[in-house]
Amino acid sequence: MKLRKLLGLSFILLAVTGCAVGNQYDYRSASVALPLAGTGELGIGVIDNRSYVLSGDKEPNFIGLQRGGYGNPFNVTTASGNSLTQDMSESLENALRNSGYTVTGLQIVSADPAAVTSAIAQSGVAKNIVLTVTEWKTDIYMNMTLHFDLLLEVVTKQGDTVASNQMQGEEKIGGGAFEGQNSRTAAAAFETKIGRLFNDPEILGALAN
Amino acid sequence: MKKILNLLPAGLVLALATGCVNTELMADVDPSADLVGLDTFYVAKFGPDERGIEAMIAAELNAMGKTATSGADPKPPAPVDAVVTYEDKWMWDMTMYMIELSIDLRDPETNYKFATGRSYRTSLARKKPEAMVAEVLGEIFGTESSGAAE
Repeated sequence: MKLRKLLGLSFILLAVTGCAVGNQYDYRSASVALPLAGTGELGIGVIDNRSYVLSGDKEPNFIGLQRGGYGNPFNVTTASGNSLTQDMSESLENALRNSGYTVTGLQIVSADPAAVTSAIAQSGVAKNIVLTVTEWKTDIYMNMTLHFDLLLEVVTKQGDTVASNQMQGEEKIGGGAFEGQNSRTAAAAFETKIGRLFNDPEILGALAN
Repeated sequence: MKKILNLLPAGLVLALATGCVNTELMADVDPSADLVGLDTFYVAKFGPDERGIEAMIAAELNAMGKTATSGADPKPPAPVDAVVTYEDKWMWDMTMYMIELSIDLRDPETNYKFATGRSYRTSLARKKPEAMVAEVLGEIFGTESSGAAE
C-alpha cells in the first residue's frame, strides 16, 4: 500500500513538472541569413525593452515559459546564461558579417532615445542598426507560441532614425517537443523574424545608401 | 485516497495516449515573395540525413510542375530561382518515424529564408516521409499536395 501511495505521488510530481524544469534555449545557434549584401561599417545594438525585465520581475536571460502537466509555468532561460539581447546581438553581428559588413557592437543600456544617441555617438559609426525588443518569449504547453514585438531602426551617427520596421504578434510556431528541438524551433523563429524585419524596402534602402 | 490511487493507472494511460497525438502544419512566407514565379529549385541535402529526403523534396517539387534537382553540395551547380534546405527529425516508437520536417526556401544569392514550412507529427499521427514532404510544400505554396505520396 505504501508503495502504491509512493507511486501515486511520483506520478503526480512527474505530471506537474514533467520535462518542464530548467529548460534552456540557444539563440546563438540561430543562423540568420539577411536579404542584403554590402560593405562598410555598421554599428549594431539590441535593447531589452521587455516590461517584465525592466520591472525586475524576470531576469534578462528569461526567454519564455515551459509548462508542466497542469499548465504550471517554469522559466526558460538562455543556454549561454547571458541576456537574451546579448545572444540576439551575437547572432545578428554574425549575420551582418556574413553579409559583408564590418560590425561594431553598441552598448545601449535602455530604449531611451538619449541612451541610444549617446551609445552611437561613443562608437562614432556613421550607420547603425538598433533592434528594440519590447517582447520576445515562447510559451510551451502542448504547442509552442511565440510572443514578439520587435522594432528595427537604421540610425545615423547623429542619432536620427532614417528607416524603421516593426513587427509584433503572437504565433504558434511549433508543437511542444523536447528541449533541444524547442530550442531549435525558437532559434529558427528568430532567424525568420529578423530576416523579415530587414527585408523591408525602407530598411534595405537606408543600408544601401 | 484509495479511489484516486485506483484511477491513476487509467489517467497515466490516457495521458500517454493523448500525448502521442499532436500535429502541427504551418508555413510562414514573406509577403513580398512571389512563389508562383519560382520555377527552378535546388534542394541541398541536410548533412545528417541518410534517408534521401532531398530527393523526395525534389521529386515533389517536380510533381508540382516545377523543375528541381538535389545534391549534397550546399550550393546549386547551376543558377536557380531558389535553394531549398530542410531538417528532418526522427523518433522511435515501435519503429522509427519522422516526427518533424521543416523546409525552407532561400534566395540563392543571400541565403535569405523567404519561406518556411514545418510539419510536426507525433507517433499516433505519423505519416510517411513522402507525405510529410508533400504537406509541407503544399502549405508553403498554398496548394494541395500532388497526392502521389498519400
